[in-house]
Amino acid sequence: MIDFLLEIGFEEFPPAFLKNSAEDLSTKLTHILKGKRIFFRSVRTLYTPRRIGTLVLGLTRKQKPQIIEIQGPPKKSAFDDNGKPTAMLLGFMKANNFKLSQIFLKEMKKGEYTCGKKEVEGARTHDILYEEVPKIIRGLEFPKMMVWGDNKDRFPKPVRWVVALLDRKPLRFEFAGVKADRYSSPNPHFAFKPIRLEKPREYMNFLRHGGVVVDPNERRRVILKRLKQEAAKMEGKPVYTDEMIEEINCTTEYPEVVTGEFDEQYLDLPEEVLMTVLKAQGNLIWMKPTNKFITVFSAKKKALQNVKKGYTRVIAAKLCDAHFYYENDLKQGLERMLEQTKDMMWLKDLGSLHDKAMRLNQFVIMFKSVPEVDMEILRRAAQLCKADLLSEMVREKDFTSLQGIMGGYYAKADGKQEKVAAAIKEHYLPRYAGDALPETKEGTVLSLADKIDNVVGAFLSGNRPSGSYDPLGVRRNGYGAINLIDTNSISISLFEVIDKLLKLYKKDFDKKIIAEFFTERVTRYLQDKKFRYDEINAVLATWSGDVTDARMRCDALKKLRGKTEFAKVVIGQKRVRNILKGIDKIDEVNGNLLKEPAENKLHMKGHETSAKLEMTLKSKNYSEVLNLLLAMRADIDKFFDDVLVMCEDEVLKNNRLALVNYINKLFLRFADFSQIVIDGAKQ
Amino acid sequence: MKKKKIYTFENTILSLKQYWQKQGCLLFEPYNSEVGAGTFNPATFIRILDKKPWNVCFLEVSKRPRDGRYAENPIRVQQYYQLQIIMKPSPSEIRRTYLESLNHIGIRLNEHEIRFVDDVWEAPTLGAYGLGWEVWIDGLEITQFTYFQQAGGIDLSVIPVEITYGLERLAMIVQDVSSMFDLKWNADLTWGDVYRQNEIEFSRYNFEKADPKFLTSLFDTYEAEGKRLLSEGLVYPGYDCAIKCSNIFNILEARGSISISERAKMIGRVRALANQTAQLYLTQNADENELEAVKAK
Repeated sequence: MIDFLLEIGFEEFPPAFLKNSAEDLSTKLTHILKGKRIFFRSVRTLYTPRRIGTLVLGLTRKQKPQIIEIQGPPKKSAFDDNGKPTAMLLGFMKANNFKLSQIFLKEMKKGEYTCGKKEVEGARTHDILYEEVPKIIRGLEFPKMMVWGDNKDRFPKPVRWVVALLDRKPLRFEFAGVKADRYSSPNPHFAFKPIRLEKPREYMNFLRHGGVVVDPNERRRVILKRLKQEAAKMEGKPVYTDEMIEEINCTTEYPEVVTGEFDEQYLDLPEEVLMTVLKAQGNLIWMKPTNKFITVFSAKKKALQNVKKGYTRVIAAKLCDAHFYYENDLKQGLERMLEQTKDMMWLKDLGSLHDKAMRLNQFVIMFKSVPEVDMEILRRAAQLCKADLLSEMVREKDFTSLQGIMGGYYAKADGKQEKVAAAIKEHYLPRYAGDALPETKEGTVLSLADKIDNVVGAFLSGNRPSGSYDPLGVRRNGYGAINLIDTNSISISLFEVIDKLLKLYKKDFDKKIIAEFFTERVTRYLQDKKFRYDEINAVLATWSGDVTDARMRCDALKKLRGKTEFAKVVIGQKRVRNILKGIDKIDEVNGNLLKEPAENKLHMKGHETSAKLEMTLKSKNYSEVLNLLLAMRADIDKFFDDVLVMCEDEVLKNNRLALVNYINKLFLRFADFSQIVIDGAKQ
Repeated sequence: MKKKKIYTFENTILSLKQYWQKQGCLLFEPYNSEVGAGTFNPATFIRILDKKPWNVCFLEVSKRPRDGRYAENPIRVQQYYQLQIIMKPSPSEIRRTYLESLNHIGIRLNEHEIRFVDDVWEAPTLGAYGLGWEVWIDGLEITQFTYFQQAGGIDLSVIPVEITYGLERLAMIVQDVSSMFDLKWNADLTWGDVYRQNEIEFSRYNFEKADPKFLTSLFDTYEAEGKRLLSEGLVYPGYDCAIKCSNIFNILEARGSISISERAKMIGRVRALANQTAQLYLTQNADENELEAVKAK
């Protein structure tokens, strides 16, 4: 039994994909070992910011031997008439060291052949790893790679050493200008001198002495334990998430903790500001609600006092900056910021930010039918919502993420109503897929109005998205608006909304282009809600821009889908529609021309359904709508069985087509069923 | 007891320069026009474009109008010193060489935390980007450490490493002071003695007094001049106009007179000059392979 250590050493890796990269390396290595029939007892995935490694213990020295079958000459050339081996067979035996007793016959595609079995000794694990490991390393995939120096190999950060130690012997392959060897690298806070490893089992211990805890699980335990111990000495509660701990874990080789503090006056700053400052400063954990924070650092314990002092100083300067902005902003007040938005251009040819706010103030009237919305609050919030973009705080790049949030604080400080402040604060939500949604109704409507305005504005200013080009995040905005409409069951037509908005812009623009964009976004949204593409296409083919309604129709279709009736409705409409293909001029149905009982029956059924549909569509009872459409199936079938639509008599023919068209239109009032694919059924 | 050695600001600069001279760097001097960073110096921007080895060290006066704080913030000012190192191709031992430079000026690695914070570095006005880190000592950013990948819109084939020290902040660690205004420049004077009034006045200029109309027309004029010079095959004078535009843009931005969308457009205009400079330089100086790369753009 032997052991194997593979360690790729580099300059600090991007923490965002360190863990995945390390796991990927281990998975690929064990996969190769298994595939090559090399057995091992255990495998460990190890990583720090400066290395990813795999430690495999208890490997076999060689591949498991393999019995292979070797094919010789065909039976008829292998033996002569007397059943004696021919020269050809003897040659085959000699070449493979077979005795005659080992030769047997086997039926192949082309007839009977002689065969022999042979045990092939396994190759040396060393040779296989030497061959395969460089391939594994070159085959690793990362979200972002770079080049360095003058070599051509790519990696997320420059590779500076590789340890590939099989028992006591290094595999001396080359990667990225580095020759694999037995030397690892210590934590530079401790030493520079490379760590010489005689055998893989020394790895974890020797590295520990060099200030490196290579096992991520051990580091995580240490971090959490130290945090707890440190926090226990103080008042307050540490504020952190699992993701924060994992990020810290990916940025430290040797975790130590120390507490720093900031001037108590900064506790007056809004909590979001405080958190933003601490977060931007790396691994700082706030002891809420005190003026203390804990930092996890990666150096010698001896550095503790300097680290404490350093972070305390930096945080003081950063908070001083934040405080400076905040005080200035409060002094200035939201109304003055609003005034200044007049000088801040929003988008080319579309006026200032102030114009945008005034437009929103008008535009939100469109949403007055939304229940529980206080229009006065909403319109006031619309007017003020962009003012904080002119605040000193939000204009600073560390704090731009606080747009809206600061507006909320400044509105409150300015004596605006609580609800106005709340709506301003929330009106950017959701900022990305999966983000929180606004809690207040006014915030919800303001957010969706703003997002729709962003979309329309982008189209008007020539910034429509195409391919990967979407600098203004138009797709995200469209999706967010749709999400808000549906989640809050707001009943409104996007098409009418766009119409109204274009009028407010006083711009001439083909609104179909924007409508198409929203239809595409709704398609995406409904796909994410796990509706099938054909259900979505069917509903959106006839939709009127009402997102909530479209979703309810998809719901109804989905519910019916599992049942046998589903195919019936769909096929019913398809029969109707197929016959109409290629016919463009169609008149109204003339009742007097209906001769056959089946066509009369269908006509009557159509009338009856139409009247009922009116009511059920209005009440949005879509399961019932589907039932009504389903109920026409018998008469449709009967009609097609008994009546020849394409008859010789032009007048009769046209009237029958008109009838079919009339029935088809009834279906289209719900959806275009022809888009639906019935599994396993012939179309 | 051993007497503690006094590290003045000027000594820190001197000894760093000596250190990098020993590493084989040519000692260059600052550029003669206002720049936001040493990267703008032709000794960086132009010299990194080709494949020829180039190792250089120079001090640069970095002007960041938006960062002015009327001398009220201990670590943010609108003008500070950078020491820039370029080594092309980037040497494999560069990380250690850098860390030992800190040791060389009196920062003991076992007494501080040196943290490399992942960073995608971009200079949009130069069409340049690279991957690397901000280097923090005890939480204070003191160096930008970058492997350039692209400059002037051109993918580089031999990769330079750029190390840019923020000298005042570095000296704050060396001298253990909490404000850069308290740095001892020499035995008698502090950084504040030398620069405080300059900071206050330029903060007023950048934020309150600069004339946007004048600057905007200056921007337009330099842009036109740059285009003309480059079209006549003059790399350095043409690039000089790009540098001027960049600085004017920075002041206009601090003054708060550029809107969000106008901002992107102006950056694009400066970048166009920088990209043209890079292409022109390579057409004049590069070998055949590099020319292919230029043509492909």
